[in-house]
Amino acid sequence: MLPADTNTTIKLIPASQFTIEQLAAIYNQTRVDYMVPMPMNAARLAEYVATYDVKLEHSLVATTQDKEMLGVIMLGVRKNRAWITRLGVLPNTRRGGIGKALFGGLLEQSAQLSINFHMLEVIKNNVPAQQLFLKYGFREIGELLVLRRSPLVQKQNPIVADAQRLDRTDSLVLVGHDRGTQPWTNQSESLFNAHEVSGLRLTLADGSRGWLVYQRQKFLLTRFAFKTEAGDPATVAYALLSHLHHQYPRLDTQIENIQINDPHLPAFYEMGYIESFRRIEMWHGTLPASLNHQK
Amino acid sequence: MTKILLIEDIPDNVELVRKALSRTGYEISHAADAETGLAMALDQRPDLILLDLGLPDYDGQTLAGWLRDEAILDDTPIVVLSAWPEEAAKQVVKSYRCNGYISKPILKINEFIAQVNSYIKTP
Repeated sequence: MLPADTNTTIKLIPASQFTIEQLAAIYNQTRVDYMVPMPMNAARLAEYVATYDVKLEHSLVATTQDKEMLGVIMLGVRKNRAWITRLGVLPNTRRGGIGKALFGGLLEQSAQLSINFHMLEVIKNNVPAQQLFLKYGFREIGELLVLRRSPLVQKQNPIVADAQRLDRTDSLVLVGHDRGTQPWTNQSESLFNAHEVSGLRLTLADGSRGWLVYQRQKFLLTRFAFKTEAGDPATVAYALLSHLHHQYPRLDTQIENIQINDPHLPAFYEMGYIESFRRIEMWHGTLPASLNHQK
Repeated sequence: MTKILLIEDIPDNVELVRKALSRTGYEISHAADAETGLAMALDQRPDLILLDLGLPDYDGQTLAGWLRDEAILDDTPIVVLSAWPEEAAKQVVKSYRCNGYISKPILKINEFIAQVNSYIKTP
């Protein structure tokens, strides 16, 4: 049990001392008044924890002395970098220092692991949260998009290309290990941890070529990683998406944290993707030397 | 009797909608997640579906896609309940072939009832 530094009536308890159902419940309750609440049931939270390397023993729940849950924050850990996520405080207990206590407590946990590089994303226009992160020395890196594509949009024929479907093994070889500076959700480890990962590689008549790796859930295509190896990124992306959505015409699609300056983006809009909302990516500390070449 | 299916996971919001619509005489049923919502929609064939976008198993967009994929629900109006900015909510409505959206939080009960009434088809 850790003492909270801002309010002696608050306790910070490792999240591993709670069930996944309890954690899902407190997380959902902290977001009931959010513009984009993104609630999760226990199964979804468990998948989130596994996919994003969230360490519950280093994540924290704020409680009263009577163990009534007030808020939560989670820490993802990969080698020498960390990700801060799921921060939330019950609406009727905000402005009492709980968020600050959770955040400070989590940074202490991270320091104990000798990690001094942190990433996080915050929903654009969530000014109080953004201010808190800036106060702790986080800096803005860029703006990220969350995109959706309805399976009901007009169907389009696949672009003529030499296309090859890839199994999980071949897909993950393409993803490789050099994605540490990508937003956490889109890093290599997220795909390595995910189930049902497949890919698509194609070459167009003019020699343009690229690949797309994705996760196919029961009702959703998600977690895209893609690369244009030759040619115009938007053209290659359009061809890849045309094949993907032709293959899975009945699946909804959600992709997260695409950088707003990604040159593939025009293809997504042309293929019927819409913007759900934006996040701001923030970093804290020094980029590990192993990632410097990826900048 | 006119049947409304409310698909919403936050108990306080469910209570508010039930209370607001209690004087209309509509029969309100409720599902707290997407899979239950789909099952109830198929079983009950409601006259209107009020759909929250944030659900704990699959989100409201995915559910709207399933509902629209069911031939027997093709004519059922689906109205999104959302706190999203107007432009984003409108895009969801268009993309997922919903019939409209009502902004959350619900502040003016009479206005809310009028909005709901406007989506219910009169025989």
